Amino acid sequence: MLVSEVIKKQMEETGWIRRMFEEGIRLRNIYGDENVYDFSLGNPFIEPPEQLIKAIVELLNNPVPGMHRYMPNNGYEEVREEIAEYLKIHYDLPFTKDHVYMSAGSAGGLNILLKSMLNLGDEVIVPKPYFMEFKYYIESHGGNIKTVNTDEEFQLDMDKIESAITDKTKAILINSPNNPTGVVYKEEKLNELARLLNEKREKGKKIYLICDDAYRKIVFDNIKLPNIFKMYDLVISVTSHSKDLALPGERIGYIAISPKIKEVKSLVTALMFSSRALGFVNAPALFQRVIGKFQENSIDIMDYQKKRDYIYKTITEAGFECVKPQGAFYLFPKSPIKDELKFVKIMQEEERILVVPGRGFGKSGYFRIAYCVPFEKLLKATDGFKNIGKRYIKG
Amino acid sequence: MISKSISQSMKGSSWIRAMFEEGERLKKQYGEENIFDFTLGNPITEPPPELKRELRRIATSDIKGMHRYMSNSGYEDVREQIALFNKEKTGLPFTKEHIIMTVGSAGGLNVILKTLLDPGDEVIVLSPYFVEFKFYIENHNGIMRLVETTDDFHLNLNNIESAINEKTKAIIINSPNNPTGVVYGEEELKELASLLKQHRQRGKRIFILSDEAYRKIIYDNIKFPSLFNVYEDTISIISHSKDLALPGERIGYIAISPRIEGAQDIIDASIFANRILGFINAPALMQRIVAQFQKNSVDIADYQKKRDAIYNILKNSGYNVVKPNGAFYIFPESPIEDDIEFIRHLQKFHILAVPGIGFGRKGHFRIAYCVEMDTIERSAKYFKEAIENL
Repeated sequence: MLVSEVIKKQMEETGWIRRMFEEGIRLRNIYGDENVYDFSLGNPFIEPPEQLIKAIVELLNNPVPGMHRYMPNNGYEEVREEIAEYLKIHYDLPFTKDHVYMSAGSAGGLNILLKSMLNLGDEVIVPKPYFMEFKYYIESHGGNIKTVNTDEEFQLDMDKIESAITDKTKAILINSPNNPTGVVYKEEKLNELARLLNEKREKGKKIYLICDDAYRKIVFDNIKLPNIFKMYDLVISVTSHSKDLALPGERIGYIAISPKIKEVKSLVTALMFSSRALGFVNAPALFQRVIGKFQENSIDIMDYQKKRDYIYKTITEAGFECVKPQGAFYLFPKSPIKDELKFVKIMQEEERILVVPGRGFGKSGYFRIAYCVPFEKLLKATDGFKNIGKRYIKG
Repeated sequence: MISKSISQSMKGSSWIRAMFEEGERLKKQYGEENIFDFTLGNPITEPPPELKRELRRIATSDIKGMHRYMSNSGYEDVREQIALFNKEKTGLPFTKEHIIMTVGSAGGLNVILKTLLDPGDEVIVLSPYFVEFKFYIENHNGIMRLVETTDDFHLNLNNIESAINEKTKAIIINSPNNPTGVVYGEEELKELASLLKQHRQRGKRIFILSDEAYRKIIYDNIKFPSLFNVYEDTISIISHSKDLALPGERIGYIAISPRIEGAQDIIDASIFANRILGFINAPALMQRIVAQFQKNSVDIADYQKKRDAIYNILKNSGYNVVKPNGAFYIFPESPIEDDIEFIRHLQKFHILAVPGIGFGRKGHFRIAYCVEMDTIERSAKYFKEAIENL
């Protein structure tokens, strides 16, 4: 056997994604890029904020000696200080540079964190639908994923979470605003979760709450994200600047460890070890320096909100059932045909609309639309959605 | 809160921390300039000026989407340029498919080990060795099999042969070598290849994973023998941390030999591994930069001068040392048996170095001479005093 059995199996599980991707390429070749409506990828087409580009240029025009060398594994001290200052104000807790760990995006951050925490057989609870890669991240470090269903609005279901907790539970991994649903977890739900976890803690069971906050700044309708660090002590947030600063290719983000976690020092030491062992070593140097000053900034959120409004209106008018999302740039409508894989193929073939079937997020019977595309694409796809609605929903 | 296996690994390396802290204490007490720190492979060298210019040019250009995700294997045109470089170097039909851009060679090695290893598979590592190899292998449930090299740190074929068993999946070759600076010769690599070919004929495939992070840092007009040309099942892992002095930017690549039968499976799995290990892709901006600088490097003559200087200092002071042909490390014998003890002794003379045990070979110590020439020259007196005052 040439390649590992483990990886082979994991690849087979996701083989259909590849086939879909290839189908997309085939359609583009036949009909031309402009006549294919690709809503399958969470790869925003927008550019980083202008000031950020300026900051890169300025830095390169006035280079700091040694700015491409190794630095401590947790990142530049002054950058961590800048971020800590932001976190301190934002969460109203005494964050210092020692609570901040620079990482290669949130994917890198989650991997070094899970490697640092998990023992063989430890369980991580993940509410579903969920970002499929979580499963591989957890399995890579000897853990087991335990998925639990959310409710009909894709909000946390406390009974389900409670019954999933065992002696082996090490952490709960939540992602709000959520990929793939775009849902933002409500404050009351997070309070209930905190209550549940505190009960467990009183009984001697420590469960860490890991928050994948990659979409934190992309929220709509003037809602404010609940301050999870205030609700529960054992919170670790993993952030990425892929979405809020539109830098996905550069792999930059950070881990924020709650000042209320007492073992912060040993966790950071473990993270340093994991960064080296997993081969990340440190977050890319140049972009660390750049993002330190842009913690308050983000790309134009109103632009995403307009797109959200338009696509939501389009598909509900076409007859689809869909929870109205309040964040990220995804929508997760119900498939009018029970087998959503079949439905996704129909959309491809009949209207050249590409979306991802819900099973790719652990939830069949739904599909995901990623609307981080030019507005024009959304406009041009309107008729396609309508036609599909007429044929498969209203008809 | 911390994983048991990590706590274990961290405990095992607590002496490194203690040493490091002693070094910091000395720097505070006597001033940084009066301490000769040879512990870190973090070169002071800046990237070549033409690279810095190009970085500025690209960053200020208005290429659309240059910070977006690209394919997990990296930009197509970047991989094409790198394939061309490898094709010219080896005469083998490298195409962009054989190149996967990675987060340095540390990232690259993790990707390829994840791709190849099943639980319990063994990987042969030649000692003395870069200790992180052990963690890389264990990350992916493999087992490291250490094999001693000869007294002058070259391949010992008998040792390698007797380490091979049915679980052997790969052998990691790191030449120019960290920590010894030794460059393996073409002859010994050919012998290794013929040994592995014998196993292949008996139906046992063993991959050579060639960690070539120091490939371009090579002296005395030696030509770096390419493993691609001596053995079919070769995968090389390249970093631009040293040759282009970009360690903090985390950029490198994997080159998969076009001669590997079934290479496509390895390519597909590596791309997948790059994604699920959380690398996703190598940093975008740096991919574009390094593509154009495959033939460039930092000033090698400068390193050679430093090699000469440190070698002469050690030799003249009475240390027993193999003259290295590459990288920026030298690995002298410790004048006393206990290398940790000797490192403590060196600290008294304001010299910081790493004991050989940190690389799996006691009775030696590693000097990383990627520091200012002045530091090397001023250290001469102290190396001498240290050995005279044992």
